[in-house]
Amino acid sequence: MVDPIILQDFAWTLTTLLKLLLLFYLLRRRLYRSHPAFLIYLLATIVQSVVMTAAYRHWGFQSMQSWNIYWGGQGVVVCTRWLAIVEIARKLLTNYPGIWRLANRLLFAVGICALTYSVLSSAHKWQFAVVYVDRGVELSIAAFLVSLFLIARYYRVPVAGLERYLAIGFSLYSCFWVINASLVDRWGAASLEGLRNFLEILTFLASLLLWIGAVRKHAVARAVTVPAPVSPETYAKLSLEVNARLHLLNERLVHLLRTKDSRS
Amino acid sequence: MSLPFALFIVIPVVLVLLLILALRPPKRRSMSTSEVFEALTEERHYARLPQILQSLREEDTEFLRVGGHRDLFDRLRAERKSIALRYLNYLEEEFQLLLEASRILATIAPEAIPMDEFERFKLNVRFAFCCRYLRWRLRLGLQPWNVFGTISDMAGDLTLGLEAATTRLGERASMASEFPLFLENRRRDLD
Repeated sequence: MVDPIILQDFAWTLTTLLKLLLLFYLLRRRLYRSHPAFLIYLLATIVQSVVMTAAYRHWGFQSMQSWNIYWGGQGVVVCTRWLAIVEIARKLLTNYPGIWRLANRLLFAVGICALTYSVLSSAHKWQFAVVYVDRGVELSIAAFLVSLFLIARYYRVPVAGLERYLAIGFSLYSCFWVINASLVDRWGAASLEGLRNFLEILTFLASLLLWIGAVRKHAVARAVTVPAPVSPETYAKLSLEVNARLHLLNERLVHLLRTKDSRS
Repeated sequence: MSLPFALFIVIPVVLVLLLILALRPPKRRSMSTSEVFEALTEERHYARLPQILQSLREEDTEFLRVGGHRDLFDRLRAERKSIALRYLNYLEEEFQLLLEASRILATIAPEAIPMDEFERFKLNVRFAFCCRYLRWRLRLGLQPWNVFGTISDMAGDLTLGLEAATTRLGERASMASEFPLFLENRRRDLD
């Protein structure tokens, strides 16, 4: 049977190589122009891998110094990930100013709620605050991205292939990260730390493969024609009319139900 | 198992499921702006609603049951059930059309009004739930026919209100010269 540590090292090496491959494709396709935040995020993860390898060699896997460096680096990586995600949201909705203004408030509210819930429900184990905050941030990223997709679907906003796969990769990674962290929190870090690291790397590996595929297939998008906006007055009037009619239809249906219920 | 732990497992799983749901291609084809507003200005089905509702009154068929024509009575009931279902389909179609119009409106608005959008979302959820519930009740034969008969009593005012609103909306839509231009742009984007 393969030693889990060897397996973990192998997965770690593989993810680093895949990160470099993704970087290569990003640069080759000149996507650093359109997706600078994603490029910065990728660079941050590569630097983190290099720094952590050096730290583990120098201080060992269980040392406090390695722990501090890991979580310091993780803070930077999570911040750059947030920037990459905001970039995706902006790219998706930027041609729809009305929806974008509405959605950005909603999405950030969702993100902050998820983060707050996550931190508050950590049973006041303040010594692990950084771990819980990280879990909260991952949960808020997942909630943000899923809400973004739901909004895009609701308003029939077309989602370009690259943004779609980048967002899927981020949200799946964040969801599984939260599950992994919760399992470790429940059954103890000592028994599951190895498994957790392995699953985390595995999930990231899957996201990397998804992103590499998307970047490789990415074709330069045609220039999107910016829709001519209506005036705020026209929108306000039509919006009110539509809502009034929706109300009437709803009332009609509810009336049907109420009448029926009262007689049956 | 503690509640926070369970929620930290359940919430990500729900998020993954929602993600899958959000990524599915929409069942309905996206309508263009002109298609939506053209449809809105067409004659609405509820112009004939009083007649449909009148045909659903129980008194219309009761004499058959009393007269011993059970087969005919049952057949008429089945037909009326299908009419009621069709009426629900029309209502739903109308509702979806309005929602489509509102979505297009939001995409071309310089700033969507959050309360209006939220109101629409609430109405959508409520309508979808009620419609499904009523449809299943009808299919399961739980609907007493006399109920639909009484609807005709309220149909008059409501129909007039709806017709007036439709006309106003149609007029405003036809006046909004920006829509056809947007239609072409949007279609090009989606193709």
